Amino acid sequence: MGNRENGDRPTKADAQALKGHLDVLLLAALEHGPRHGYAVKEALREGSGGRFDLPTGTVYPALHRLERDGLIAGTWSTVDGRRRRTYRLTAAGQRRLHADRGEWRAFAATITKLLEAGAWPATT
Amino acid sequence: MASHHLSHDDPAGYLAGYLDRLARGLPADAVDELADGLTETWRHHIDAGRDPAAAARAATAEFGTPETIIAAFVAHAPGRRIARALLVSGPALGACWGASLITAHAWTWPIPVPAAAGYAVTLLAVAAALLLAATGRRSLRRTRLGAIGGIGIVALDAAMLATTMLVAPVLVWPMAVAIPASLARITLTVRSLPAALAP
Repeated sequence: MGNRENGDRPTKADAQALKGHLDVLLLAALEHGPRHGYAVKEALREGSGGRFDLPTGTVYPALHRLERDGLIAGTWSTVDGRRRRTYRLTAAGQRRLHADRGEWRAFAATITKLLEAGAWPATT
Repeated sequence: MASHHLSHDDPAGYLAGYLDRLARGLPADAVDELADGLTETWRHHIDAGRDPAAAARAATAEFGTPETIIAAFVAHAPGRRIARALLVSGPALGACWGASLITAHAWTWPIPVPAAAGYAVTLLAVAAALLLAATGRRSLRRTRLGAIGGIGIVALDAAMLATTMLVAPVLVWPMAVAIPASLARITLTVRSLPAALAP
């Protein structure tokens, strides 16, 4: 994982944990408007306070996969003489994001509850 | 690669060389998209105070090696997924049809030798295409062989089903497994092909 100034240093555990949640995070990064690949990666980095700083090159294959699955849609434009592909959430992507977000909240609430002191049933 | 419209400040073609390595394994559209992101990353590092050469090194380090990026594209390629699924399921279906043909004494069927030989050659070619698509990690183009192999499998299944229905004097019990299995494989493969054939 790359690292930038002013960011918390990401750990291997972060990278491993992120693997299973990359899709929903990419969808969430596009929830409030279209972004191109680098902007998606930067949104993840900034939104996580520098903790999730993915190798930029690996964001693009994931975006292509989400597009093939119909969850996002890409369009080409030209910026400074360069071709730029910008992605937006599709209706299917909105539904998936909503569903995954709900599942995550339920999962995280359960884990948090179990990790809190006093959450476990008393031993018999 | 000059066609990627990199800045003239690209130190000693460092970024262009990086993109050339990507272009060996990825289609032009993907390389153009990566070129845009790489240039943005490079400019970010220049804005942060690095000189162009150091910024180029930092940008490519932040992107990851071309081989890693190509491998990530390949891992997600629909052609590779089709190829892997067909290779995994192939031996089971082959066993079903092998048992069917042996039980039905298929060597007594009135099938011209050139037709049988053509079927065997096509089967080998399809298997080779699927193997190439499933195992390559350095080229996204190579995964397209998975789509070609998928079309071949559909044709082979259809030919086997048609031959069985038209030529076999009797239906034997292993065909009760082989025929539905082939129909299911045809259906699943045809549904997967559009994604693998998409540009």
